[in-house]
Amino acid sequence: MSTNSNEIIKRRKEVIDTFKKELITRLNLPYTPEDLHEDVALLGAGLGLDSLDALEIVLCIENCFGAKVPDNNISVLRSINTVIDFVLEQKAGKEKNS
Amino acid sequence: MRKSLFYDFFKQHNAVFENRYEIEVPKQVSDEQSEYNLIRNTLGITDTSHMQCFCFPEEKGLNFLDSLVAGNVAKIRFGRILHTFMANKDGDVIADCYIANNDEEFILLCESIINDNEFLPFLLENGASDSDYVDYSNDYGIIGIDGYKAWTVVKELFGTDVLGLPYLSCEKYNFESEKIILFRAGKTSEFGYYLIVPKSISQKLIEQCYDIAQKNKGGLCGVEIHNALRLEGRFFNIYKEGAIVKDPLVLGLQWMIDFSKDNFCGRDAIFAKRNSGLKSKIIGIKTKDASCKLNINAPIYYNNKKVANVVASCFSYLLNAYVGLAVFPIELAFSGLEFNLDSENGNIIQTISMPPIMPKSLSVKLDEL
Repeated sequence: MSTNSNEIIKRRKEVIDTFKKELITRLNLPYTPEDLHEDVALLGAGLGLDSLDALEIVLCIENCFGAKVPDNNISVLRSINTVIDFVLEQKAGKEKNS
Repeated sequence: MRKSLFYDFFKQHNAVFENRYEIEVPKQVSDEQSEYNLIRNTLGITDTSHMQCFCFPEEKGLNFLDSLVAGNVAKIRFGRILHTFMANKDGDVIADCYIANNDEEFILLCESIINDNEFLPFLLENGASDSDYVDYSNDYGIIGIDGYKAWTVVKELFGTDVLGLPYLSCEKYNFESEKIILFRAGKTSEFGYYLIVPKSISQKLIEQCYDIAQKNKGGLCGVEIHNALRLEGRFFNIYKEGAIVKDPLVLGLQWMIDFSKDNFCGRDAIFAKRNSGLKSKIIGIKTKDASCKLNINAPIYYNNKKVANVVASCFSYLLNAYVGLAVFPIELAFSGLEFNLDSENGNIIQTISMPPIMPKSLSVKLDEL
């Protein structure tokens, strides 16, 4: 595996593991982290979470990763992977600015 | 082979038909891009009568269905729909199911990959004979209405109240003194409805739906375009990746399973696989170059070694690229990596986060219209 790929996987896996564990605990989901496919829809279809759950996810993203989800950005919460992309983008932006 | 009640209507509109597990369905009515644009920008009417539909009285239906499907039927609230799957004894997915709790009865609406004439025998083998079921498949037609403006059709037919129905809910409406069952569901990422229509009013209703669609610049679609729309929205497609992969855990369908249930068809096999740990996973892929096609079964290479195969693909007109799904070993099943398609030095493809598009319907709040 190339060094670049290894780094991408390592960075992504770290955020995925944290987010899945938090999601399961905060929303009391009856799944293990391995059960949650990263592309599963969070709201409506898929996990079928509601607007209160969405608020909890936004708080989770802020508390765990220091990333603030803009009020009008509904695309972030579409799946676990879209949340992870957002968190990684925010982290990369912060690293670039510091 | 079973023929839909809407066969002649679609034939008059020059539809091309396909045999889908022994049911003849309109595959395509116009060209692919026109049908795609109808649903993404306005609305498309599709004959979805290939779906098997059964009605069960509440108590017997609950016991039977709960012993059959992976989801928890007892937890479906009145007026709501559970999206789950049916597996065989080996734990392989054989049907993608909606189950509605609707006015003292349960409605089962399925897309299956066993032949139509084998579907009822499968239910009977698994205890349906005691459930007092009614098979709607031959006497009802199912109309799919999907698209950014799909709601205009149901609003004109049934009134403004229909706009208040949340995703995955069902309701009954009258049309010419007959009952129609409406499912607010769909797998395109745009607004979607299924109308389950008795034979006596089927012709009148499909014509009326078509008239309303035309007034709103919509039209007719075949079932084939739904493969692309589902993939773009990352909805499970039993006819594509489902028919190839079959393992619900590799397909990422754990969310459709209630792991606390003691019994359902295929449970032991699924639990055995779950306990041994997931070794591969289906994830999204995208070509870098719009002219590079993703063929089903095409091999995917990483560091000169074959690691995966394409199991679903479509051209995304929104992304101007091919997108698809492939089953990767778990250690490589991450978004953001690059691979070679077809050979060690083939075209570059990327693994991506799904869904890759943002549908227009997500920006509309129906209850505020």
